[in-house]
Amino acid sequence: MYNKEVRGPLVEGNKSLGQITREVVAPVEATPGLWWSIAFVLASAATIYGVYAIYITVYKGIGTWGVNNTVGWGWEIVNFVWWIGIGHAGTAFSIFLLILRQKWRTSINRSAEAMTVFAVMSAALFPALHMGRIWLAFYIFPYPNTRGPLWVNFNSPLFWDFTAITAYLLISASFWYLGMLPDLATIRDKTTSKIRKALYGFFSLGWTGSSRQWIRFESLSFVLGGIAAVLVVSVHSIVSTDFAVGIESGWHSTIFPPFFVVGAIFSGFAMVMTLMVLIRKIYKLNDYITDNHMDAIARILIFISLIMGTAYLTEIFVAWYSGNMYEIFAFFHNRITGDYTIQFWGMIVCNALIPQLFWFKKVRRNWLGLLSVSLLINIGMWWERYNIVITSLSKDFLPSNWASYSPTPIDIGVYVGTIGLFATGVLLFMRYIPMMAISELKGVADIGTKKED
Amino acid sequence: MAKALKIGIFDNEEKFISSIKSLSEEKYEIVDVFTPYPVHEVFEVLKRKSRLPTAAYFIGLFAILSTLGFLYYAAVIDWPVVYGGKPFNSFPSFIVITLVLTILCVTIGSLAVFSARSKLFPGRDNTIFDNRATDDKFVIVLDADSLDETGADKALNIMKVTGAIEIISKEFENVKT
Repeated sequence: MYNKEVRGPLVEGNKSLGQITREVVAPVEATPGLWWSIAFVLASAATIYGVYAIYITVYKGIGTWGVNNTVGWGWEIVNFVWWIGIGHAGTAFSIFLLILRQKWRTSINRSAEAMTVFAVMSAALFPALHMGRIWLAFYIFPYPNTRGPLWVNFNSPLFWDFTAITAYLLISASFWYLGMLPDLATIRDKTTSKIRKALYGFFSLGWTGSSRQWIRFESLSFVLGGIAAVLVVSVHSIVSTDFAVGIESGWHSTIFPPFFVVGAIFSGFAMVMTLMVLIRKIYKLNDYITDNHMDAIARILIFISLIMGTAYLTEIFVAWYSGNMYEIFAFFHNRITGDYTIQFWGMIVCNALIPQLFWFKKVRRNWLGLLSVSLLINIGMWWERYNIVITSLSKDFLPSNWASYSPTPIDIGVYVGTIGLFATGVLLFMRYIPMMAISELKGVADIGTKKED
Repeated sequence: MAKALKIGIFDNEEKFISSIKSLSEEKYEIVDVFTPYPVHEVFEVLKRKSRLPTAAYFIGLFAILSTLGFLYYAAVIDWPVVYGGKPFNSFPSFIVITLVLTILCVTIGSLAVFSARSKLFPGRDNTIFDNRATDDKFVIVLDADSLDETGADKALNIMKVTGAIEIISKEFENVKT
């Protein structure tokens, strides 16, 4: 099946199994470079700013944010949706491609899943803080309580959202950890340090690589992959219903669930690309994450970008075709022209136009090209969420209600803090966990190579 | 209880598989084989099967029924509240929660089944017969106690002929697999 040279080898350089182990484990065994320490300090500083902002938010209340009666959802919801979108990469990447038997995922899935876990952790902070009285957050759990028992509203997308995100975090973390077991065992058996042997031994749960373990491991991966694939589609659809059930013009739209899911996968893949370019550059792992891998991600990004462009046009068309004056106002006088022109056109340019550069092989094969386009996509996706949340809220049906919105340093602090949290997580991941699924790489090492035995 | 074992080490997947094939044709008792990555032919030759999907199916069925049952109890029997004129048992809006919780239960449940059946949990110290098995070697472990001398010699010979790079005879205390 894989004998034809469609993609070229998945692992370049004719590596032996032992060599794969050594090269992938090397960053875990080595002392990190100076860049790592500097990045870690910066990430921690950002996290500390975030902790301060959260402290103020909890201590004084969400009056310290820029939100007001009209614009009740500000940066926090924008960032929440943004992070959840990024958090779709891991599952989209590893689970969809696992089910489609796309073997080229092997060198990327581990980092994509790590990213997912940290992004969803960052995302989950926002709705929790947005509750205002975070110490009453447990009210959202449906448990037999002394207040009636009064149950939560099972018809509300806000409750679905809570369920979906909690489940998503637990499931993606489990999937990530399960995949790590054989590799943690590899480090346990390979390392010379006693501390590492004990720690990785503990966390590898006694993995030995016996045929009995492997067959259950494989069948569990497929069970989890198959069932969690639904989540890739469901989580962001549920997030979109938070908006779509509202009556605000610009939100009240049936296009939202697919539009959000595609957007989520778009920003997730873009973040995977950013991370992969950096990992390739820093750790010199070009033999594992080959040019062909980057090329494949870039091609997927063009495709999704076209869907995004179509979705934007569809929204605009439907607003005009509906003949509803509020919809027409929201799209034509508040986004395309009007106060939010920059955000709207920023979104169009970054998400629908710039990724078209990937049609050119020169851009797909150039690391700076890949890095800058993927970063621009993530900025564009942030603008998109800003557009949806802020423009619709700030000018709704009654002009007397109109208000403007600008974030305070506390809003910015929470956002910067989550970026710091994400970066800290990714840096720790690079340092302590093998960045690629070693056992899976060994399984695909001879695909596409012409080895003579 | 100490157990005498014969351990054959291979550095090539094909040789390793042909060795297992010959050993199982001769009806030798293979304790287990250890590989750095899943090798599907091994599962076929040793007739390894996993019933995990079946377990997952029943966990899922249980999760669906109990979630729907709970939602019905909470929203219809225990404390009915009218939300936006919808019926108490507004089934379509229960689907989302049921779906998500089913996925969560299947994940956690089948992980638990996996952990119990494969005996993998924090602090577990399964016997490592050869620590190169997680790196780049393929390992066959034979039970030497069940063999007489000629049988053992024949088994070792099979492994040698099929291309084992090393054969170790060793006793292990408290074998845990």
